[in-house]
Amino acid sequence: MGKDTWKDFRLYVITAESNHPGKALVDVMEQTLIGGADILQLRNKTGSREEVLGQAKALRELTRKYNVPFIINDYPDIVLEVDADGVHLGQEDLPIAEARRLLGPEKIIGISTHSLQQALAAERDGADYIGVGPVFPTDTKPGRAAVTTSYVAEAARHVTIPFVAIGGITLGNVDTVLASGARRICSVSAIVGSSDPAATCRSFLERIEGASAGTLLVNVNGREQLTSARTIEEFVKQLEQHNKKLVVERNGELVPRALWAETELLSGDAIELVHFVGGG
Amino acid sequence: MAESYQQDSLVIAGQRLGSRFLFGTGRFPSPAVLQQALEASGAEVITFAVRRVNLESTEDDSVLQHFEERQLTYLPNTSGASTASEAVRIARLARAAGLGNWIKVEISGNSRTLLPDPIETLRATEQLAGEGFVVLPYTSDDPILCRKLEEAGASAVMPGGSPIGTGLGLLNPYNLGLIAEQAKVPVIIDAGIGSPKDAAEAMELGADGILANTPVAKAQDPVMMARAFRLAIEAGRLAYLAGRIPKKKYASASSDWAGSLYEPADGGGLKI
Repeated sequence: MGKDTWKDFRLYVITAESNHPGKALVDVMEQTLIGGADILQLRNKTGSREEVLGQAKALRELTRKYNVPFIINDYPDIVLEVDADGVHLGQEDLPIAEARRLLGPEKIIGISTHSLQQALAAERDGADYIGVGPVFPTDTKPGRAAVTTSYVAEAARHVTIPFVAIGGITLGNVDTVLASGARRICSVSAIVGSSDPAATCRSFLERIEGASAGTLLVNVNGREQLTSARTIEEFVKQLEQHNKKLVVERNGELVPRALWAETELLSGDAIELVHFVGGG
Repeated sequence: MAESYQQDSLVIAGQRLGSRFLFGTGRFPSPAVLQQALEASGAEVITFAVRRVNLESTEDDSVLQHFEERQLTYLPNTSGASTASEAVRIARLARAAGLGNWIKVEISGNSRTLLPDPIETLRATEQLAGEGFVVLPYTSDDPILCRKLEEAGASAVMPGGSPIGTGLGLLNPYNLGLIAEQAKVPVIIDAGIGSPKDAAEAMELGADGILANTPVAKAQDPVMMARAFRLAIEAGRLAYLAGRIPKKKYASASSDWAGSLYEPADGGGLKI
């Protein structure tokens, strides 16, 4: 898998064997990959190391077949042993720096975060992606207070590395999460516990794509922002900056005010809004 | 005499200015005080900085809204730039805003002293003059550099008296005098001026104008101080034109001794 192309993932699936009694782990996870899940995590907090290693080997083989990155929750040693693509850490697990030292620069390191403060710390410490959640109360992580979509919105505004919204997300509430600015979704029980994981994954992806199609991700004055604006004029109005005497620069080029209405806004644009302040 | 002084105006890039005071707009306690101080200063050129807007606020906090009624020449600065290309970008932004084509090149090479980076300043001056800007570079008090800036197309040179905001006055009057003597473009003393006394001193050295901000804005009474600067700059200019007396080591009486009622005192053992 090409360096960094993994970052474009949209649907992150995690194993949860207890959600599909009577069905084999590899079969269920294969269904999620058939359905289009584009990153897979093995999470087994109760099994022995031997059991986790066995599952890791099987899922490594499966994810290779579908060319999907494979992450293991904890167990950096197993990551190395089966050549998984990375590790996922919790806040109480080993520090990111320690994981990086064990795994080297190439492996993906993800970490669960429950506040913007933790998110920014993870970013500083060199995490490659973060989990943002639990958005809703979930049985997968009992006892953890839900962070609600307000943290998702904060993350969308301030976090520059990929972030994936997680925790109690179902087809019934995913639109709210997407509306808060998430573009990567992780769902556990709603997918692996469904009678048709492949179909459920396809439904999730349709929702994610639908939300992405309506919005652009642009960088304004140094920070990422989602917008439905199609032109510079609409964008300035959405930001409620249109009553200011300001100058707009788009990707290093000045956009004269007369051209705002006809200047198209594209995803990835870097926009600067500047004005004049007292100075000597 | 008053009439000939009136005709002694400062001309920058062909533009005749009635005041030799270039007015910095930063750090005033309020917009109202800023406007009154500007009025009291008599200045016709104002400086300001280019910054990102505050996206959290919808209110227009641009400094320019306070000057819409006035006939002023705008001199935006490139503060915040530490390279020539950053300064060029800021200059283009300011011009695109329709504020005219004057630009104060200000490229800081050190965040503690804010001293100008001479190499980048020269580069930016050359580039911007080539793009048709009226370039007024804030520069070190170095006569050679000032000459090179002039050759690169600067419309005026603006050597600092001392680092920005320090109020230390003229640290190297000798160099400033040399710069004033050699320059074929106006010399504006920019930065480090502490009080009207420094401004008058600079004008007496032959400077053509003064750019000041902090000593006015942070004075106890900025409006009164603005007027004090106006008078000091005029006084200094007049003194320069009038020609001061040479300095001498010993006294020379204002009246001849001839006809004095007494003999001169002879204390202290000094015999000329």
